[in-house]
Amino acid sequence: MRDTEQKPGVSRDNGLQSTSSSNYHFIHIHHSSLGLTHRLILFVLLFAAEWIPITHFVHKGRGGGSFLYIAVAFSSLFMAIAYFRSKDSFQRISSQVKKTPIRWSFFAYHLVALAAFLGFSSIPTGSNPLSYAITALWYAAGVLAIVLAACAFVPAVLVLEFVRTTGYAWVYALVAAIVAWRVTIYASLGNGAVWNPAIDLSWKPATDLTFTLVKGLLHLFLTQVVADRATMTIGSPKFNVIVSPWCAGFEGTALMLVFSVAWVGYFRREFRFPHALLLIPAGMLVVWLSNALRITALILIGVAGAPNVAVGGFHSQAGWIAFNCVALGFAVVTRHMPWFASNRVAPDMFAPGVFASDVFASSVSSQPAQAPLSTHAVHNATAAYLTPFLAILAAAMISRAASGSFEWLYPLRFVAAAAVLWFFRSEYSKLDWHFGWYSVLAGFSVFGIWLGLDVMTGTHAPSAIGAGLASLPSPGRIAWIVFRTAAAVVTVPIAEELAFRGFLIRRLSSADFESLSPRYYTYVALLVSSVAFGLLHGERWLAGTAAGLIYAAAFLRRGRIGDAVVAHGITNALLAATVLTAGKWDLW
Amino acid sequence: MKLLGMALMFVGVASFASAVSVPEIDPGSAGSAVALLSGALLVIRSSRKK
Repeated sequence: MRDTEQKPGVSRDNGLQSTSSSNYHFIHIHHSSLGLTHRLILFVLLFAAEWIPITHFVHKGRGGGSFLYIAVAFSSLFMAIAYFRSKDSFQRISSQVKKTPIRWSFFAYHLVALAAFLGFSSIPTGSNPLSYAITALWYAAGVLAIVLAACAFVPAVLVLEFVRTTGYAWVYALVAAIVAWRVTIYASLGNGAVWNPAIDLSWKPATDLTFTLVKGLLHLFLTQVVADRATMTIGSPKFNVIVSPWCAGFEGTALMLVFSVAWVGYFRREFRFPHALLLIPAGMLVVWLSNALRITALILIGVAGAPNVAVGGFHSQAGWIAFNCVALGFAVVTRHMPWFASNRVAPDMFAPGVFASDVFASSVSSQPAQAPLSTHAVHNATAAYLTPFLAILAAAMISRAASGSFEWLYPLRFVAAAAVLWFFRSEYSKLDWHFGWYSVLAGFSVFGIWLGLDVMTGTHAPSAIGAGLASLPSPGRIAWIVFRTAAAVVTVPIAEELAFRGFLIRRLSSADFESLSPRYYTYVALLVSSVAFGLLHGERWLAGTAAGLIYAAAFLRRGRIGDAVVAHGITNALLAATVLTAGKWDLW
Repeated sequence: MKLLGMALMFVGVASFASAVSVPEIDPGSAGSAVALLSGALLVIRSSRKK
């Protein structure tokens, strides 16, 4: 529980209680103010946090994996179906849930059941009656642990009331979950029963067409093209590849189907129907064509003398680059095509307007510790907070695509981030870049946690940096290390702290995030932003999540971006020193 | 929130991709690719509101 400053007039629906003073409302956040959605998120996070560490101790041979899969799929599908069938009930029960505190006693019972579950897991399985009894107890303890955790967040009586209002939603969800479970089994076995284009001949024409397209494109660039349709081999005598059925654009097309349906569905009020439905096959077609371009480019890179790049970084990144380009193009183009636009959207809805922050700016007598990036609606504050981080991500994809095992083009990440930071420099000058002693302490703490967890979690994939640097001439080697270190210590901390602490914590609470004080947070936003930060650190996700929480604490103490950036920069500087002095390249 | 929902959906789809291990979309790059796409869409949507 904490107090935070809030500008007058801010109306929040997450259970915040306000009492007015002359110019401010002081907001008190209670656990009991969390609605159904927030509690479900907390439940899922608790489930993940508990399940991941105990996975290695749990028996795999008792069918628990399938049970868990069906349970998770059923729960997700049920909530989705139930929400759309009974939105009113969902909101009514959510408001009732807000009045109910989290029941920690159930949480304690949950821990006891979880301990019993782990205890039964330690008993070997067999085929005698005693083993069957233990298996039954094992299941019972596991289910009880889940139910008790759920009851801690949402009272059982409200859950039952909600289920009753949703009719047969639970039946549909159960059937769909079982079907999804069977489909996944077949797909993962790769036995061709479902979703295996290598055997599913209905996909063969698409593969053939991709082959033909690639062959036609290659003829534009190469004088001698090798194209054997029997073995699906294509390229030049010097470098050729086999176009497998999986390379026919199946994945990108499926992703585009999901994206376009979700986009048109979510923003349906902005589209005219049925015209907008044409966008879905159009997007899928463009992605499928881009796959042919990807294969052609891969072959040309190989023919040009860089086979390692072709089958290494380019092979791994080009699919995502193409998909992201098409998806973003889809989002931009649909904005500018009136034929697809609905005339129901109020014309002033997206017009330049006065945001709540503008109104507040004139009425608040004193500013919070850190002013919002802008109180004027003449520019895009989201862009100022996010673009440096996005530039790093985009540069990373390009630089990896141009690399084999060693990312020689890493300096591109530094240059891209530095350019964007320079572009928005006037906006950043409004932020508070001061820092205190605790940010230094936070930086050292994260460094210790990072190394500690690194030792605890064991060996990581070997890094190609050492060998890659050894292959470079001395000037190139020194330049690469200088850029890599500068990125780690300067541009990455600034970009990531702006995105995760400066932007995401508040954005998860309100679309008009600028109207909130930099010190404003909810526990859910804090947790989600830190987990997201952790997940972007790959196999070091746990250390990343802990780091995110600590940097957030440094940031929220005074609401100063400088504290978070300095803490992050110190951690990265210490890691860089460890890498360079001890040769632990896998830390990079 | 809608965009966050879409991002979660993509993580799910990308996870499925990792189960079948195919070459067109690399599941190892899914996290950064989805973050890039979600962030860029947020910027586009927020610029639209101005």
